[in-house]
Amino acid sequence: MTGFALRRTLQSVVVLLGVSVAVFALVHLVDGDPVRLALGTRFDQATYDALRERSGLDQPLAVQYAQWISSAVTGDLGVSFRSGDPVTVLILERLPATLSLAGASILVALLIALPLGTVSALRPRSLLDGLGTVVSQVGISVPEFWMGIMLILLFAGTLGWFPASGYVPLSEDPAGWARSLVLPAVTTGLVSGSVLTRFTRSSVLEALGAEHVRTARAKGLGPRAVLNWHVLRNALLPLVTVTGVQLAYLLSGVVVVEIVFAWPGLGQLALQAVQARDYPVLQGAVLLFAFVFLLLNLVVDLLYTKLDPRISA
Amino acid sequence: MRRRTIITSLAASPLVVAGCSTGEGVDAPGTGGGDAQGGFVAATSAQPDQFDPHKTTAYASFQVLENVYDTLVEPSADGEEMQPSLAAEWTTGPDGLTWTFTLREGVTFHDGSPFDAEDVVFSFRRIIDQQLANAYRLATVTDVRAQDPRTVVFTLSEPTPALLSQIGGFKGLAIVPAGVDEASLTTSAVGTGPFTLVSSSASEVSLSRYDGYWGEAPGVEGVTFRFITEPAAAMTALTGDQVQWTDNVPPQQVSDLAGDEQVELGQVASVDYWYLAMNCAKAPFSDRDVRRAIATAVDRAAVTTAARYEAARPNQTAVPEDSFWYHDYAPFSVDVDEAKRLLEGAGVSGPLTMGLMVTPEYPETVTAAQVIASQLEPLGITVQIQTEDFATWLDRQGRGDFDAFLLGWLGNLDPFDYYDGQHRTGGSNNYHGYSNPAVDDLLDRAAVATDRDGRKALYDQAAELIVDDVSYLYLYNPDVVQAWTPGLTGYEVRPDKAVDFDSVALPS
Repeated sequence: MTGFALRRTLQSVVVLLGVSVAVFALVHLVDGDPVRLALGTRFDQATYDALRERSGLDQPLAVQYAQWISSAVTGDLGVSFRSGDPVTVLILERLPATLSLAGASILVALLIALPLGTVSALRPRSLLDGLGTVVSQVGISVPEFWMGIMLILLFAGTLGWFPASGYVPLSEDPAGWARSLVLPAVTTGLVSGSVLTRFTRSSVLEALGAEHVRTARAKGLGPRAVLNWHVLRNALLPLVTVTGVQLAYLLSGVVVVEIVFAWPGLGQLALQAVQARDYPVLQGAVLLFAFVFLLLNLVVDLLYTKLDPRISA
Repeated sequence: MRRRTIITSLAASPLVVAGCSTGEGVDAPGTGGGDAQGGFVAATSAQPDQFDPHKTTAYASFQVLENVYDTLVEPSADGEEMQPSLAAEWTTGPDGLTWTFTLREGVTFHDGSPFDAEDVVFSFRRIIDQQLANAYRLATVTDVRAQDPRTVVFTLSEPTPALLSQIGGFKGLAIVPAGVDEASLTTSAVGTGPFTLVSSSASEVSLSRYDGYWGEAPGVEGVTFRFITEPAAAMTALTGDQVQWTDNVPPQQVSDLAGDEQVELGQVASVDYWYLAMNCAKAPFSDRDVRRAIATAVDRAAVTTAARYEAARPNQTAVPEDSFWYHDYAPFSVDVDEAKRLLEGAGVSGPLTMGLMVTPEYPETVTAAQVIASQLEPLGITVQIQTEDFATWLDRQGRGDFDAFLLGWLGNLDPFDYYDGQHRTGGSNNYHGYSNPAVDDLLDRAAVATDRDGRKALYDQAAELIVDDVSYLYLYNPDVVQAWTPGLTGYEVRPDKAVDFDSVALPS
């Protein structure tokens, strides 16, 4: 077990180093000059040269990478071209908003997916199953920005139950935080929930058809015990994987929903960094996203060993 | 906690606010003792990139800085004249090479330190010596000197009639205190303006009234700029009284909103213009007749409506109709047959393909390009719309790697801004390689002409040549459209889009 964990952790570190090289190469290969963007359309050459030098962009790429990665190891991700703020500060500033939204969204998603998916699987081709399929199809197909705007118009505009947009920090006002969270979390939660509903349904169905379930029934176990001990436990395995992936996706920022709800999350930060070719922020953000993905994958793999002891062998 | 409370109390109990406000000029009870963020929330569409007025070029930053910093002089509300601000008055030497500014008395910075000539010299030296973003505006300034604590003298290499708009057209030339910690200007602010910068986060910026302000005291205790990118969300927040002002008004809704009692709409012609530029250094667009053919086939009214609905006016020159510098000149009328004759005369036979570079950073360029493409089809011209993100767009523009592009020039105050860098041979913004010695000569003379009417006559002649040669194919001047809570007073929509909240007062 510990050997497995150690091996997987080491692998993750190697992957992360590879990602750092790839990220650095990619952002510098993309067209677009951050200095020109920072200066807008009106400027003269001397101004351009001065800013280029101040930003360190006149250095060779290898030197720039060496400087970046050596300070990144110590936790210093550099300073934004755009705002002059340290990248770690910019990321930390937006982390609470992203964590709130990702957490609330996955909660909404699981609240939808687990009951709906299980019930659909237990009564396949029933009216409930049909309803579940329709709902999850709609959730997957409807664009998030449209769903978001409709929720704003109805629940913030017409009914006035929730604020139209914006984020309130939990530390400032817990009630306001919860109110500001509802509409964006429902928007993203519906999409993730729809994906998860389909997965829940298919994995429960698969588990129901398995031979050990038939055996369990044959030895006279009640339907509830069969479901809890033999079906759901097995169905959980793929579901944990997919939930982990969904959570990683939500944590790396949901750009569209963040823009619609003026939500100051990591997605908007990354988008602004792309638009401004703000290399330090972009590199820092992508490195963080990669880290989150690897971490969640690691957690999922380790959870597997708990759920299914055969895997650590 | 603070911010949220104020907003809910505003939404829930307008009567409380009414109690504090006596309309214009307001004496809020407990002045100075109130909450820093007292009351007024403005929804803007983007987050400022930074707060250093000499380094940023982002409009979102200047929306905030307008209320925090002052310049020596500033544009009047209609944008037509430059008026006193930190300089109370000024004189020009007989040769036009020295300008002497007398500074206002009793002005203090937000840190309490007094304002004097050293601050002015420091600010301009900083821009010039460090080659910061607006250094090009001071190209003719050879010296800035403090004659005494109340007097500053500018020495110029040649007469510069546009000097006032160059040093005070917007807050990019703001006065910062001498010896300020320059790095701190990126994230904080020490100005002389009506509001101080209190805090800034990823979702909003808070300003608080500066009690030591030299002008009339602001009508609200504070201003919060909240960033709402999605127009539908901004308008819902406005009608729900979560915000009291926004400039994020979708152009397609302007005519509907005009009849809506829940919002008040302000609309004036801006000093911006949008245009199509063809690459004069690349065949066949180097041929004047080819450019004239295209200018004859483009229906500007249709392009304008598609791009901006009711919120813009078509124009064949750069300067909008309301301006003193406007020149009534519109030689082109839409005529496809005439356009075909011009193309044939230029020896262009057979199909022609024109790449037209646009950017989603300015979505109206994408829409305009689609309309223009359909209008050029009858000429046998296939327009290839090339949508690039703005960074790539700027790269290609800088390299001259294009057939044609669509963009706008924003915030022009002086005709120098409208014409000089764009059309002078080798000019700093002449990316499309236009060159006409007659235009150069007129621009040279206009740049140093001190008589306003004489100057206008020179620019008028230059404009006619520029339009005739189709250096730029001018399309339209957009309107500035902003919306606010009914009953809000003391706010004026300005053609230069400066957002000035110093006399705003909430409805009583």
